[in-house]
Amino acid sequence: MNTAKSLRLAFSFFALVTLQACATYYQQHLDFNYEFEHGDLQQALNALKGSEAESKSRFLFFANKGLLLSVLGDYEESNAFLEKAFLFGEDYRINYFNEGVSYFTNPNFTVYRGEDHEHLMVLYFKAINYLKMNQPQDALVECRRLNIRLNQLTDKYSSPHKLQRDAFIHALMGIIYQSTKDYNNAFIAYRNALDVYENEYAKMFHMTVPEQLQKDLVNTAYWTGFMDEFENYKTKFGMQDYTPVQPDAELVFFWHNGLAPVKTEWGINFVIAPGPGNTMLFTNESMGMVFSFPVEEENDRRGLAALQIYRVVFPRYVERPLYFQTANLETNGTEYPLQLAEDVSKVAFQSLRQRMLQEFAKGLLRAALKKVTEQSLRKKDEGLGALLGVVNAATEKADTRNWQTLPHSIFYSRIPLVADEKNEVKLKLLPGEGSGTDYSFTYQPQKGRTLFHTFSSLESLAPSYSF
Amino acid sequence: MKKPFAIILLATLFSCQQSVTRVAPDTQIDLSGRWNDSDSRLVADKMISELMASERFKEYAKEKGRKPAIVVGLIRNKTSEHIDSDTYIKKLEVAIYNSNVAEVVESEEFRDKLRLERAQQQDFADPATVAQWGKEIGANLMLFGEMTSETDTSNKKRVVNYITTLYLTDIETGKRVWYGQQEIKKFVKNG
Repeated sequence: MNTAKSLRLAFSFFALVTLQACATYYQQHLDFNYEFEHGDLQQALNALKGSEAESKSRFLFFANKGLLLSVLGDYEESNAFLEKAFLFGEDYRINYFNEGVSYFTNPNFTVYRGEDHEHLMVLYFKAINYLKMNQPQDALVECRRLNIRLNQLTDKYSSPHKLQRDAFIHALMGIIYQSTKDYNNAFIAYRNALDVYENEYAKMFHMTVPEQLQKDLVNTAYWTGFMDEFENYKTKFGMQDYTPVQPDAELVFFWHNGLAPVKTEWGINFVIAPGPGNTMLFTNESMGMVFSFPVEEENDRRGLAALQIYRVVFPRYVERPLYFQTANLETNGTEYPLQLAEDVSKVAFQSLRQRMLQEFAKGLLRAALKKVTEQSLRKKDEGLGALLGVVNAATEKADTRNWQTLPHSIFYSRIPLVADEKNEVKLKLLPGEGSGTDYSFTYQPQKGRTLFHTFSSLESLAPSYSF
Repeated sequence: MKKPFAIILLATLFSCQQSVTRVAPDTQIDLSGRWNDSDSRLVADKMISELMASERFKEYAKEKGRKPAIVVGLIRNKTSEHIDSDTYIKKLEVAIYNSNVAEVVESEEFRDKLRLERAQQQDFADPATVAQWGKEIGANLMLFGEMTSETDTSNKKRVVNYITTLYLTDIETGKRVWYGQQEIKKFVKNG
C-alpha cells in the first residue's frame, strides 16, 4: 500500500469515526428505528446488537428489548430484559472517572442512567406482562417496587414546581391492586393519582382527571366500605345517581399511542468575558443566561477571553406528534372512550426542562475545561494545541440518549365482560382528519377475572425538526 | 487550570462505592419519614402490652370458661401510604399464641385452603389419617382495625400523625371486648 493510499484510508477512517461521533443516538440506530417505526418488530429486534448489553447505553438496550418482546407477546423473555433494566437502575453508581473524562470529551462517555419516567415505565411494562400471564402476585411485587420508586422521586425533588409524582403510575398501582381484589390499597392508589392529576398534571400538562379514575375511585371506596368517601367523591364528580356494579369479568385496555420524543442536540453561542476576581463569564443575553467559572491562571483567562464567542451543545427533545387523536372501544352496542392517562412526551419534556440549568452548567464547564486545556497546550506546542482543538471540536456532543420506543401517550379504559362467553370488542382509532382504523378482538374470561390488553399504534406525524 | 483537574482527580479517588451493613432488627433507622419497620414494631409492642393488661379481656376469657379463639378480620387502611398491616398483626398473633391467653384460628383465606385440602383428603388419604369435617374451632372474637393519618405540610416541612386502632369484637354479640390504640407523630424536615 503506498503512502497516499494509506493517508486516504486513515482520513476516511477519521471521517467515519468523526461522523459516527457527531451522530445522535437516534441516527446511530437508524436501522433499528426504521424497522421499529415501520412496524416490523421482529426485524427491529434483530437489529438490536447483543454487544450493546455491555455498552454505556445498556439500560436502553434492555428497555428496548423488553418493550419489543412485550409487544410481540413474549412476556416471559420481555420480563427477563426488563428486570435487567430495573436492576441496572437499582445498582447504578456514578463512576467519577467517566464523569471526569466526559468533561474533556462529551457526556456520552458516561453510562446512560435513564430518566426518572423511563425507570417507572420499565416497571409498568413488567407489571402488565405479569398480569397478561395471569401472575397477579408477581405483578404486585412490581407494584411495590413502583411505590418505592415513586417515594424516591418525591424525595429527589423538593421543589413543588418540579415533577415529583406520577399520576399514571399511582393509577396503575390502583388497577393492579383492584385486579387482585385488594380494594383498600386500590383506593389509596387512586386517591393519590387523583391528587396528582388535579394538582401537578393540571398545572404542568393541562390534563384533566380521567373519568375512568373517578369511577374506579368511587367503586373501590364502596367495596372497601368507606361510605363517607364514597358519598363525597360521588358528589365531587357529579355522579350522585351512580351505583357500583361488580361485573362478571373485566377488561383493562391500554392504548399506547404514537412514539415518545427523540433527543437531539442544539447549540447556544456564549460570549466569553472576564468577570469579577479570577472568574470568566459565559453570557447569552438573548436567553438571559450568565454562568461564572473560576479560572486561576491569568494566561488561561486571557486565552479564554481571546475566544470571545464559544458554541456549546445541549440535549433537547423533539416531539413526534400524534397521528391518532382519539380512540374508543365498543362492545355489546356500548362505546367506551379511551382516556388519556399519561402524556409520556410531556413528562419527558418536563423532566429535561427542570434540569436544563444543570445541563447548561455542565455543558459550559465542559467547554471551558476543553478550551483551557487547549490554550495551555498551545503555549507549550502550537501544533499539538491546534490538534487538540480539532479533537475537542470533533468530540463536542450532547447526550442524545433516551428510550425512544416508549409511546407518546397512554390511554386506557375498563370495560365489563360476560364470563365464559366470547366477547367481541371493537377498537376504533381516529386521526385528526380522515377516516379511522378498526381492529377487532375476542375475549373469553373466567368469572371474576380481569384481563389486560395493550395495543400499540406506532403512527406519528412528521416532527417539526429533523433528527 | 490546575483546580478543575484537581477536583476531577479528587472525585475519581473518592468514587461512590456501595456498602451493606447488617444491623439489629430493632435498630431504629429513619430515612424518609414515611411509615417503616420501627413504626410497625412500636404498634405491635403497644398493642400486645395493652391486650395482655386488659382487665375486660381477662373477664371475657373467664366468663367463657376457656381460652377464647381469635380470628383476624379486616384491617382498613385510610392513610395515603400503602402500609402492610400484616407486619404488626403477625407480631400480635405470635404474642397471643406464645402467651397462651387465647387461641388463634386461621383467617378466611387460609381456612379456604384448609377446607380444600380436607376435601381432597376424603378421596385420596388413608381413612385412618383423614382429617374429619366439623372439628374446626369456631372463633369467639374477631380482630378489626383501622389506620388513619393526618398530614400537614408547609414548604419543606411535614407533620404526619398516624393513628392505629385495633379492636376485638365478640362474634356472637357484636360487643367490643378490647380496644388498643397507638399514635405515632412524625416531624420531617427536608433540606
